[in-house]
Amino acid sequence: MKKVFILIVAAVTFFTLISCSKDKNKELSGKTEIVFWHSFVASTIPALNELISKFEAAHPNIKLTAQYIPTGDALIQKLITAVQSGTAPDISWLHADYMEDLVDADAIYEMNHFIKGADGISDEELHKIYPALLQYSSWKGVLYSLPMEATDLALIYNKDMFREAGLDPERPPQTWEELKEYSAKLTLDKNNDGNFERIGFFIPNYPAAGPLGNWMVWQFLPYIWQAGGYVIAEDQSKVTFNEEPGVKALTLWKELYQSQKLNMFTNDYDIAFASQRLAMAMDGPWNLPRYEEIVKDFDYGFAFLPSGPEKRATVVGGEYLAIFKQSKNPDAAWKFLKWMISPEAQAEWSILSKYLPIRKDVVEIPKYKKYLEEHPHFKVFFEQMDYAQAQRPIDFGGLQIARHIAQALEESMLGNKDPKKALDEAAVKSNLLLKPKSQR
Amino acid sequence: MSLNKFKNYFISSYSSGGGVEKKQRKGKSDILPAFAFLSPSLILFVIFILFPVFFSFYLSFQKWNMFSSESTFVGLDNYIRLFSDPEFWQVLKNTLYYTLGTVPINMALSLFVAYLLNKQIAGKKILRTMFFAPVVISPVAAAVIWRWLYDPNFGIINYALSWVGIESINWLNDPDAAMIAVIIMGVWKTFGINMVLFAAGLQAIPEHYYEAAEIDGAGRLSKFWNITIPLLTPTTMFILIMSMIASLQVFDIVYVLTSGGPLGSTKVLVFYVYEHAFKFFEMGYASAISYVLFAILFVFTMIQFKFMKVKF
Repeated sequence: MKKVFILIVAAVTFFTLISCSKDKNKELSGKTEIVFWHSFVASTIPALNELISKFEAAHPNIKLTAQYIPTGDALIQKLITAVQSGTAPDISWLHADYMEDLVDADAIYEMNHFIKGADGISDEELHKIYPALLQYSSWKGVLYSLPMEATDLALIYNKDMFREAGLDPERPPQTWEELKEYSAKLTLDKNNDGNFERIGFFIPNYPAAGPLGNWMVWQFLPYIWQAGGYVIAEDQSKVTFNEEPGVKALTLWKELYQSQKLNMFTNDYDIAFASQRLAMAMDGPWNLPRYEEIVKDFDYGFAFLPSGPEKRATVVGGEYLAIFKQSKNPDAAWKFLKWMISPEAQAEWSILSKYLPIRKDVVEIPKYKKYLEEHPHFKVFFEQMDYAQAQRPIDFGGLQIARHIAQALEESMLGNKDPKKALDEAAVKSNLLLKPKSQR
Repeated sequence: MSLNKFKNYFISSYSSGGGVEKKQRKGKSDILPAFAFLSPSLILFVIFILFPVFFSFYLSFQKWNMFSSESTFVGLDNYIRLFSDPEFWQVLKNTLYYTLGTVPINMALSLFVAYLLNKQIAGKKILRTMFFAPVVISPVAAAVIWRWLYDPNFGIINYALSWVGIESINWLNDPDAAMIAVIIMGVWKTFGINMVLFAAGLQAIPEHYYEAAEIDGAGRLSKFWNITIPLLTPTTMFILIMSMIASLQVFDIVYVLTSGGPLGSTKVLVFYVYEHAFKFFEMGYASAISYVLFAILFVFTMIQFKFMKVKF
């Protein structure tokens, strides 16, 4: 009995010690290892692995280890712990909203450290990247990261339903008025019981505090811009989303949401689209493979978002890579970033992942040009980048301001609050946040 | 030190007389090995429970974003902000709504099921397993399934309701219905464990009480009311306290099912703590909310302990 006990204790201790010790024996035969944290969706991971093998083939003495952290929320929580305990990765995804804290903690490099260094890139080369993306990579005007890919938002629509409703399937809605008109025409109540069997256009409405709250605000932004407005004043002295353009945009959303009784509709809009219960929605290029998989037996297309009273606009997004000061091989990490932003790598990555390239000149690569011609759905997203706009920088409180906007959207669409009133209340709360955390 | 000696130490410290003398003589040298043996669980307890408990109390008087190495002392600011924060009161109300909704239904249902399963009925074991299964399912996985069940267009619940002519309800997107939906799932998820506890309590009641009552001509209801209920009191009190504590701390199913929406109608205290701590990185404020939750739990538990003492 005693012997068994001792044996068990010994075994437990042994395995604990093994798992505690860092695997230092794994000699990489002279290779430098760099660790990269990301939260790509599961369907992108195979593409990422292929991208990494391409990078490693071009840089035989670097080994790039990608580590997947599910959801962006978890990623930032893990980054905090890692920075505190000195185990930060070499490279990580990073969103501008978190830069205040990370710069404050002196955790990440300024990109100029590398760009202007010995292995740097020219200014001209840097500005081949879409300015909107460079802006999102910066905090207080200083570049702290570089974009890895771009995304924007387009309209997906069911061409068969357009035909059925007597609309031209090659002429999706061009203006807000047409959007409303088409939505009404496409919405269907077959048995006249007051419940719609089919919805014309999906307007998202998610709990403001939930993980999809930001996604809803992100989809709302282009409507403010289309009406000629901005979320924030250029000098960041106050928010402006409660001015007339913002109110116009929310009024449109509220009208569309309530007239189609979307409060009774599922939030799984892609499944609703595939099962022909929805005619039009907004979505990003990353979901193209999903539609190819789930849409059966009907004809669908993509189009630019309709233009608003003032102009045409779509929102731009992407993922941004930062290099951490705790990295032991920052120069190797920079090699990856430098390679990543090159047109060749961008073309490969875009084709593999269905994200958009971060620079327009990728189209000059014959292989990519051919890809665009062969993939008209994807091409819509690429061409729409000409209208892609970045939100004006919000150096402080960006996350909470988005939360307040989300709450205003929810209160107005679901809670039937007057759009102006809801946005005004959100603005009052947001205006208190426009300074560093230490002064709030 | 041999295991025997270790055993002696405990026996001697619990027995009176000579043991005490022995303990006084050798106390110091014996207590260290005892701690050595306890150390694996003690270390975990100290690092993951005791330290955070005190550290978060300290943090509730600080302002800290988790990133920076220093925090600023702000006195009672976090608590003052809390009591003037209208959202906090809303969240507190939601939490009490959830608790008052779940606990009574949960207890009544689990007692009822335990009582039925205590009788000899066919398929008892299968039924018991079925009722207990939700307890061991991961709450996140379960909530994802329930989200599908509640879906207004594809969900089976609305489909079933349509048979009896009830208009479809968008459970998770209706500020009036969402909390009810969470409560239903909460009860489903947790009543199994209480059922097992009640079943154990029921089996501990000696059969001859019932026999004696039958001889005196007591009916089924009278037996239940006059024998089962009073003799189950310790179990009932235990379950009441534990379910209250668990309900006031509900988080995972709310996070997955409704994310606190719609219109904040299902946002509960722990969700609010999570939001401030890990989304806005206001650790001080989040700690202050946690301590208010602790105070509420403490008061509730004390009141229940008082009642318990009266009963015995």
